[in-house]
Amino acid sequence: MSLFILVALPFLGALLPGLMNSAGRSATAGVTFTVSLTAFVGLLTNLPTILEGEVVMARVDWMPLMGLNFTLMLDGLGFFFALLILGIGLLIIAYARHYLGRDDNMGQFFTYLLLFQGAMVGIVLSDNILLLIIFWELTSLSSFLLIGYWKHLPEGRQGARMALAVTAMGGLAMIAGMLILGQIVGSYDLSEILQHRDLIQADPLYVPALVLILLGCFTKSAQFPFHFWLPHAMAAPTPVSAYLHSATMVKAGIFLMARMWPVLSGTPEWFVIVTSAGLTTMVLGAVIALFKHDLKALLAFSTVSHLGLITMLLGTGTAFGAMAAVFHILNHATFKAALFMSAGIVDHAAHTRDIRRLGGLSRLMPVTFLIATLAALSMAGIPLLNGFLSKEMMLEESGRTVLFGTPWLVPALATFGSLFSAAYSFRLIGHVFLGPKRDDYPATPHDPGAGLWLPPAILVALVVLIGVAPFVVEPFVKLVTASLLGAAGVVPEAHIKIWHGLVPALFLSLIAVFGGLILLSVFKPALRLWDSTPRPEAKAIYDAIVAAAEGLARAIILPLHNGAFTRYAAIGAVTIFAAGYHAWITGTLDAPTRTMQPAGAVPIAGWLMLLGATAGMVLLHRNRLLSLILIGIVGLMVSIGFVFFSAPDLAMTQFTVEVVTIILMLLALNFLPNRTPVESSVLRRVRDAGIAVAGGVATFGLSYHFMLRDAVSTPISEFHLANSYKGGGGTNVVNVILVDFRGFDTYGEIIVLGIAALLIYALTETLLRGPVRARLLNRKPDQPRAGDTHPMMMVVLTRVLLPIVLMVGFYIFLRGHNDPGGGFIAGLIVSIAVVMQYMASGFGWTSARLRYPYHGVIGAGVLTAGLTGIGSWFVGKPFLTSDFTYVRIPPFKEFELATAMLFDLGVFLAVVGAVMLSLESFSRLARLASEVDDDHPMDIDPSREEDDADGLTSTARAGV
Amino acid sequence: MTSTDLQAVLPELLLAVYAMIALIGAVYTGKDKLTGTLTWLTAGVMGALALWIGLANTATPGAAFGGMFLDDGYARFAKIAILIAAGAVLLAGEAVLARRGMARFEYPILVALATVGMMVMVSAGDLMLLYMGLELQSLSLYVIAAMNRDSVKSSEAGLKYFVLGALSSGLLLYGASLVYGYAGTTLFSGIIAAATDGHVGLGLLFGLVFVISALAFKVSAVPFHMWTPDVYEGAPTPVAAFFATAPKLAAMVLFARVLFDAFGAAVADWQQVLVLISLGSMFLGAVAAIAQTDFKRLMAYSSIGHMGFALMGLAAGDAYGVQAMLVYMAIYLTMNVGTFAFIMSMERDGKHVVDIRSLNQYAKAEPVKAAAMLVLLFSLAGVPPLVGFFGKLYVLNAAVQADLMWLAVAGVIASVIGAFYYLRIVYYMYFGESETTIETPMSPAAWVMLVGSATAMVLGVVNLFGVESAAAAAALILVN
Repeated sequence: MSLFILVALPFLGALLPGLMNSAGRSATAGVTFTVSLTAFVGLLTNLPTILEGEVVMARVDWMPLMGLNFTLMLDGLGFFFALLILGIGLLIIAYARHYLGRDDNMGQFFTYLLLFQGAMVGIVLSDNILLLIIFWELTSLSSFLLIGYWKHLPEGRQGARMALAVTAMGGLAMIAGMLILGQIVGSYDLSEILQHRDLIQADPLYVPALVLILLGCFTKSAQFPFHFWLPHAMAAPTPVSAYLHSATMVKAGIFLMARMWPVLSGTPEWFVIVTSAGLTTMVLGAVIALFKHDLKALLAFSTVSHLGLITMLLGTGTAFGAMAAVFHILNHATFKAALFMSAGIVDHAAHTRDIRRLGGLSRLMPVTFLIATLAALSMAGIPLLNGFLSKEMMLEESGRTVLFGTPWLVPALATFGSLFSAAYSFRLIGHVFLGPKRDDYPATPHDPGAGLWLPPAILVALVVLIGVAPFVVEPFVKLVTASLLGAAGVVPEAHIKIWHGLVPALFLSLIAVFGGLILLSVFKPALRLWDSTPRPEAKAIYDAIVAAAEGLARAIILPLHNGAFTRYAAIGAVTIFAAGYHAWITGTLDAPTRTMQPAGAVPIAGWLMLLGATAGMVLLHRNRLLSLILIGIVGLMVSIGFVFFSAPDLAMTQFTVEVVTIILMLLALNFLPNRTPVESSVLRRVRDAGIAVAGGVATFGLSYHFMLRDAVSTPISEFHLANSYKGGGGTNVVNVILVDFRGFDTYGEIIVLGIAALLIYALTETLLRGPVRARLLNRKPDQPRAGDTHPMMMVVLTRVLLPIVLMVGFYIFLRGHNDPGGGFIAGLIVSIAVVMQYMASGFGWTSARLRYPYHGVIGAGVLTAGLTGIGSWFVGKPFLTSDFTYVRIPPFKEFELATAMLFDLGVFLAVVGAVMLSLESFSRLARLASEVDDDHPMDIDPSREEDDADGLTSTARAGV
Repeated sequence: MTSTDLQAVLPELLLAVYAMIALIGAVYTGKDKLTGTLTWLTAGVMGALALWIGLANTATPGAAFGGMFLDDGYARFAKIAILIAAGAVLLAGEAVLARRGMARFEYPILVALATVGMMVMVSAGDLMLLYMGLELQSLSLYVIAAMNRDSVKSSEAGLKYFVLGALSSGLLLYGASLVYGYAGTTLFSGIIAAATDGHVGLGLLFGLVFVISALAFKVSAVPFHMWTPDVYEGAPTPVAAFFATAPKLAAMVLFARVLFDAFGAAVADWQQVLVLISLGSMFLGAVAAIAQTDFKRLMAYSSIGHMGFALMGLAAGDAYGVQAMLVYMAIYLTMNVGTFAFIMSMERDGKHVVDIRSLNQYAKAEPVKAAAMLVLLFSLAGVPPLVGFFGKLYVLNAAVQADLMWLAVAGVIASVIGAFYYLRIVYYMYFGESETTIETPMSPAAWVMLVGSATAMVLGVVNLFGVESAAAAAALILVN
């Protein structure tokens, strides 16, 4: 049968049990059995090819870009494992049919089981290591579902979770190892990788690859220190335990070690890691198993122990060790699956698995007794049963293995482990089946129907057959060994037989068996000793690790993400500074191309003032009025800086903007407390100062670097200077840029300005309709107001200034195209004229006299500018192309008229509208608050009524 | 501006015009009553545009507006993914928003505008266009983060996102101006010429560092990730779902665009930086999520981790790496749409809950949805054979091939740590202890998103739905 069909069959078949669920339990099991049987027969059709020592390959490209191909390979080793998986699978299916109760959802169970089976077959047939990983993790997933199948058992849930956490994570770690391996060889195909032993072992990345791959193998095969999950997974239904946790899934790690044996083994690293892990697991598992009272827990730890044994054999790196490992895999699968099934039968019949509540079952359940006893004796290593043969091979191999330079270490430990192994095997027979019959079983034990005992009986028949006539399987074992060794070793000549003569291994075997008997005879004192010794509980350690990880995450990560904005900003700032520093030290620095300009006394004085004002601002910022004044100084110095560098337009703009913003902020201060409260500790401020200084130094460095070097290309200003008059008809380059070269940009800006003003208006309106209104109405100033709210001098002065400033604005607007000025500055100046009135005469008085539709003004501005731009379409030019001409209206001199001026008018209107709308919104807020306001800021008005002569109408709330 | 220029930006133009018409139309008619209709309409428009971009004649990858706007296969790949993801998230969240009284008609419109921004971002061939796209997207996102104005958390999320986002925009501008100052141009095609023998000068390097920092903020990579958990937690869940999907892809694609189109000649200069932020993101995402019980915060850390993986692809610095990143992001989008479709439906007694412990025994109550979540969570964890694994494998492969072996190994370790918290959710759903579980009422659309994305995670193993070759073609266009 094609390998593709072989792998796909269980997956496709997994759909059937679910569909058959309603057709009855037998039909569901039957269809599952048929699927497995088909695969089994399909596998056997490949037997002749395998026997000839050939390898069956099948290949189809899947994701070639990733090196992931669906390539399958069936050699002796793969065949051996596939045979175990499918063969024992058949028995398990038959067993499960009778084992599962009426309430269990059988279709679901068999679906999971077939999924698992397919994944296992996939692992052993994969030729591509990435494909292998996929199947590998698929077994983790499907086993998770199988272990947790009985959802009502809390241990089942815990066990499933831990099993998945350990095996899936190990599998993920293995990915990295496989990637390294593939990178070393240049291919992810096993058939290719297995040819490159020397290349791989010489690579510096060999050790990391080895460790990562072994991490996957050890977690899957429950090797120390990952052995703890397997016993906890035993809460699963017994067929699952028998299939996954003794015969197949836990062997996947062993399989992979065997598969990789030709390229990974033979190095000191492999030897030390694998052998010592195997040995530790073997001894530890055996010792714990003896003292477990749960029948399945005992078997679970014994499985752990036997897996350790196999691992140790693979670790030795010798051909004989490999052969012993292969043989023991076969033997262990047979007797351990039989034992698990027997345990299930006992559980089923007696309704308990607690060894302390059992005993004397031999007469009640003779068939089960026979099966379990034969299997257990094989496990103990009694001659004429298969366990004896491989155990002796193991002892023989251990005698040749020198670990850590001590020749006696391995044989002693191996014998010690075997001794305990014999002891728990005898305990299983003795404490469960032998002894007096009891009368307090939870249920009356009796032998089950053939459906339950036949599958283990078949396995036990094999146990005996191999034990009595090992030459039957010897050729097959050697074939598998040959395929395991590949080119890295030669199959040993030694024959598998019962009697080798009086070799050391026999003595060790005798010590183990009789020692085991003696140990069991002193079981009660030994148990007391065991119970009184403190020992680390693996599950507790696992839980502690999980808790520690959570604690770590809480302790380190969460404080960093506590929602404090300043902390986020600080982290970001520090990182950027570090990144900048990195760039600074790694980058290449060109030599300066300019020299420093000389600095006169006046610029230095200005610079010092700027610095002083900034520093004072940082130090005194809690006094808000003072800081506002200092901000004003900073702005002023910057404006003067522009003048110094011959940029009058910028200076004017900056100047007017400064005036408007400072006045607006001054008005806003009315609503705010005088001082900013202290909220941060000194230490924190020092830290922040450190960050700020670092940032400042960095910015200084960058600017300094910039200014000493020429620009990469000629600045665009040359173009502007050359074309300003020619193309834009103006000699003020800045203004021409604004209204002509980059008119589109300016157009966008005035729209944004307009939108911003509208937003301020909308926000104020919303505020005034909400709860803020009441708060404003009830607001009490936090300090006494000045007696003279509107000083007469100031009122008079601003009124006199109003027409003058407006005139200046008009003048600035008109001259804009050729001399410093323009619509933007003019707009601001006009706004200043009005702001002055607000300041001096109060919100109420000014608002009452300034009832212009500012929305309309903004709109008119934008429309004017837009229409000017569109106008150029009519003469076939693109949007906003300007034109100009010279006109002469007597008696004036000739002057120039540009369309740009119309555009500038739009800018002017938009700026005035935007500032005024904001002010208007602001004054609405101010008038609501209990501002003492005066309807008549100028108190001399003869036309007013007598009673009003004092000029003060208290608490007038205009507009309310 | 010629007709070919307009032709190139037609999809963006159409979507923008649609958004404006919809806004004005809705303001003057039904307002919030139209939300449902508008959501479906917007999703429909997005779907149609995606289809159109996909089917349109792709033979001539063209540059429009003098190279500022690149309409190449790379951009088209990203645009299709963005449009589909945005539309899907809109549909998935529609019923939930309506049920929780947050259905505002501006939401689909803002999403559409953000989508326009993203489409411009991925097509940007110039620093200025890049900034425009980025800001259009960001500003729309700031607003929808604070969409639930009655919730303090939502307002806080919006504000925090805005301030930090503005900071990063400032960084970007500073970096861009440095780049302009030293390269003399803002065109990517011009900047790339400024690098000589694989390195750029100090000024350009500074510019590059700042630009990378700003983009790292947008993809929420460590150490500029701080906003992510707070914003995900505070924003309404359908909005968080949107944040987790399309904008992440757009920013990542843009990241690659800047790195390769503008600084492709100086790979050595930025590779280390990317390795660092990739490493940091992967580990922070993995470790920080362990202690989380809030599903949304957990997904925030998860997305940080996933961005770390995607950045690993970029760090590889070659076409294969970009391809890996694209594949990874496409898979990431699909997984997140499904997962968030589930999270937003979580309710107990009519109130939205996001505590993962509330999922106890969920599998018993809703086997289909629980199975879908199981698939999605395993896929997020990168467990084979689900599609999420292929994404991880792809980037790991790219890192290994670029001799970043240690990065790959570290990535695997991070994913091992990260797998823990995904598995924990599965554990609660299947084996949790308490008997009271939550309800997850879902609209048909959300159900389709959840189950559909889970199905895709399973069926996608066949050939990843052809994303692989499309990503390969797109990556080759970018890295030539």
